[in-house]
Amino acid sequence: MSFLSFFAKLFNSNSKHCKCKSCNRQKTAVGLSMLAAGFCYCQNCDLQVYGQILDLHENSPLSFAVIEVIDSDYKDFSDSDGFFLLRNLCSGKIKIKISHPSCNDFFEELNIDNSISKKFYLEHHVESLEEVILDQSRLKQLSTTAKTYSLSDLQKDQYSGRGLAKALEQISGVNILNTGNVISKPMIHGMFGSRVGIIYDGVQIENQQWGQDHAPNIDQNAFEEIRLIKGAGVLKYSGDTAGGVIVLESELPKINDSLYGKSIVSGMSNGRGLNLTSSWTKSYNSGNYFKVQGMMKRMGDLSAPNYILSNTGTDENNISFSFGRNKILNRWKTNFSFFSQEIGILRSSHIGNVGDLVYAIELASPTIIMPFSHDINPPYQSNKHYTAGIEYTRSNLNKGKFNFKYSWQRNNRKEYDVRRASFKEIPSLDLTLDTHDFISSYQWKRSDWSFDGGIFLRIQDNYSNPNTGIRRLIPDYIRTESGNYFTSSFNPSNDFSLGFGFRYTNQYNHVKKYYENTRWEEENFQERLGDFVIDEILSQKLVEQKLIFNNISINVGVKFPVFEHMKFNLNLFHTERAPDIAELFSDGLHHSLATIEYGNPFLKSEKTQKLVINLEKRIGDLKFNISPYFTNGQNYMVIEPSGFEYTIRGTFPVWEYRPLSSTIRGVDIDFNYELNDYLKFSSNSSWIEGFEKNNKTPLINIPPFSTNNYLQISIPKWKSFLFTISSKNIFSQNRYPNHNFETSVVEYGERVDKIVDISTPPDAYNLLGMEFHWGPYSFLSDKVSISLIFDNILDKNYRNYLNRLRFYADEMGRNVMFQIKINH
Amino acid sequence: MLKSIYIKSIIALSLFILILSCSKDSDPDPVHEEEVITLVTLEVTKVGSSETKKYNFEVEGHDHGEEDHEEEDHDDHDDHDGEHLEIELEANSSYNVSMMIYNDTDPDNIEDITPEIIEEVNEHQIFYAITDELSGFSISSASNDPKDSEGYPLFQKTTWTTTGETSGDVVGYLFHEPTSKTGSTRNDFGGAVDFEIEFEVHVEE
Repeated sequence: MSFLSFFAKLFNSNSKHCKCKSCNRQKTAVGLSMLAAGFCYCQNCDLQVYGQILDLHENSPLSFAVIEVIDSDYKDFSDSDGFFLLRNLCSGKIKIKISHPSCNDFFEELNIDNSISKKFYLEHHVESLEEVILDQSRLKQLSTTAKTYSLSDLQKDQYSGRGLAKALEQISGVNILNTGNVISKPMIHGMFGSRVGIIYDGVQIENQQWGQDHAPNIDQNAFEEIRLIKGAGVLKYSGDTAGGVIVLESELPKINDSLYGKSIVSGMSNGRGLNLTSSWTKSYNSGNYFKVQGMMKRMGDLSAPNYILSNTGTDENNISFSFGRNKILNRWKTNFSFFSQEIGILRSSHIGNVGDLVYAIELASPTIIMPFSHDINPPYQSNKHYTAGIEYTRSNLNKGKFNFKYSWQRNNRKEYDVRRASFKEIPSLDLTLDTHDFISSYQWKRSDWSFDGGIFLRIQDNYSNPNTGIRRLIPDYIRTESGNYFTSSFNPSNDFSLGFGFRYTNQYNHVKKYYENTRWEEENFQERLGDFVIDEILSQKLVEQKLIFNNISINVGVKFPVFEHMKFNLNLFHTERAPDIAELFSDGLHHSLATIEYGNPFLKSEKTQKLVINLEKRIGDLKFNISPYFTNGQNYMVIEPSGFEYTIRGTFPVWEYRPLSSTIRGVDIDFNYELNDYLKFSSNSSWIEGFEKNNKTPLINIPPFSTNNYLQISIPKWKSFLFTISSKNIFSQNRYPNHNFETSVVEYGERVDKIVDISTPPDAYNLLGMEFHWGPYSFLSDKVSISLIFDNILDKNYRNYLNRLRFYADEMGRNVMFQIKINH
Repeated sequence: MLKSIYIKSIIALSLFILILSCSKDSDPDPVHEEEVITLVTLEVTKVGSSETKKYNFEVEGHDHGEEDHEEEDHDDHDDHDGEHLEIELEANSSYNVSMMIYNDTDPDNIEDITPEIIEEVNEHQIFYAITDELSGFSISSASNDPKDSEGYPLFQKTTWTTTGETSGDVVGYLFHEPTSKTGSTRNDFGGAVDFEIEFEVHVEE
């Protein structure tokens, strides 16, 4: 708007009329020089002061400020972008006063000879600074052209004990890829793992996210804001995440003396679990602050409607703290966090060979069902994630904002299998990944343009502990990533924006991997990798490779109103992703699927083009959002069966990574209707399909059509009460690749050929839920809210296509959750 | 204040240099897969004879879908059109059979895993599934067979009894953590298969 209103104001003021009288009056009143008085008649009285009122603290526009020329009638209000215009001023000295509800009155003397434009910086009252900071952090857009989805406090807090992925599943187009019921990864538009970036405080989390059974090692309760963009829309943070980016941010603490925070206690019936999370911030007038947050979770075995899912308990302990100083123009922050989690994996899912898999698929219930317990036994995962970082930001009033960040992350993943004798206490996988990030950025603004540019360096070191007694799934490697990014956006008005972004990454991988001689010969690696052999030991070859990938990601987008109340966004993302070390070099047996997985050392960078359209319209009480998307992939890496391996344990299907040309398309539809003040209906649905381009073979793990409907009822008589009834319909996936194979088993003295059906998706299902929310109510100095949530209220038996352990057991049955939230 | 920022970045930077300097100059250690079973031997001795015949089951193979190339010399592949290892027995006889379990990944240091399995007899079970064609052939636990704490035999030492002329397939399994120690077919036992060996028994007059 500002752009247009500026012109509008200019045109209005074009009429020239020098009013000597008024000049005189003003002049004499202000008591200015006699010299000027004598030249009254030739004074130029069509001057303008065009200005913008900005907040000194965050450089944000202040609207509805009153701008007065003292001792005159000249007066204007700043518009929504802080602009104002004073017309028909005469040359000479004027004194202006700017007042704003939350600021001290501001006075400035101006000596005007010509029309001028000037920025005015206002200092807020200290007590209202916090609000500005709060508002600003909310306003900080991830993207000016792509639609940003965010979780409300209620949505976020409700899922405080259920992990990040499950909280995000509330957004249309976001699914979760499960391994059992606790290990969940977010999936956006059918993509997961390395194709979905999780950014915390401006740094991408590195926790071996390539693995399907590797849930994000992050406690979302440490962050006040969770936002998501479907597509690689934030090139500032990552360029290789075609699926989408999830951005977790902590709020800037208030600049005043206070102690505040939030605590949530949740109890869950299914798994007889308890979850505690609490965060406290102490801030000072000086801008110094200290924040500490912790989370504790204990869950026992979960239950399906008809049986206990033995060994599915979880223990989680997280702590994070940060301290820093917020000043008006600069701030610094240091933060530390420790995340530790032990997750039991369904005991029955640990199988020996394909015969066991056939048996598990045939049985209606798991092979091992034990009494309820809070113990976690093998197989289980033990994940630890440490982070530490330091950040410094400096803003110059007119110029821009400089930011430097260093962050360190260490991820340790241990997987314990059911093992024999002395190996029982030894993990079968033990990976330690250290990541160092150095990021420096500079943001600046020129009228309606804003720019952001930066450079980054990331160094990763992965260590696979050889003492597991099982050959490394992932080899030891060092990966160095460096590059730069530049984004710019043009926002002449609130409704119209144009955005462009670019990110270049150079990735250098230094890998040392052992190949078994048998595989080396079968795959004829000698021809292509023979030159890289540096050692030979124990019928294995040690290969040293240095792989370099240069990738470019580009993003262009536009946002404009098509009709009244109808917003249209169009974004095009081109992303290039270097193959993961897992995709290149993985080598090992997966016990839950009885498959042997091999990487492909000859993979090239994956390229995807994604087009996302977003149409948002509001008609009275009805609001809807339709977002179709289309993704085209080249060298799109998928893992699929490639043959069999015979071992003394039996036959195993071999799955290998293969690049292909892919197409993924779909549409997400959100719909909101406020029937009246008490009744609100909302719905979100997603349809998606993905296939290999040349032969139309469907891609694996593409979510089926789903539609979730909610009816929200608030009873006016009861203050702060909300009741929601929800119905989730997940259809059966009819488009899936057929990876079934045949095997022969001896059953009751007969040799039988069996088809191992690992492909057919489970049936459609419907889940009903109910939520009751009371509050917030004032209690002493605190505010207390209470929630009662019923999931799968009908205790329905169902299996989920996106659960890798769907062959072994049903999903969780009914769960009743009771939650108390205290804002202190 | 700013000073402390610099100090911290210097600390961070030196930390980073430290990490760079201790990068992977040394080669990673090879992993010795000590736990795996790579060789199973059946030691077959006719009752009253001192001659013991050894049958080795050692499978490592890879098959690329359609192209059917089998590299191993002695294989008992699961493809049932192929040849299985054959054990020839005389009719109307008894044989003492011991199952020996090894890890021979390091040919210079072949590890006998049998004692380990016997020690953990509570968590293991050997089972021979005999196909119906093999009429009149039976396998029973021998008197010196290790037994678990509840008296269930492991079937590591067995007695094989033959009657008339017959031939057919036998599958031997080692189950880890079986849900049942007895049964008449594989599925009765639950647990996970540690190995699965297949052979053909020929009983001749």
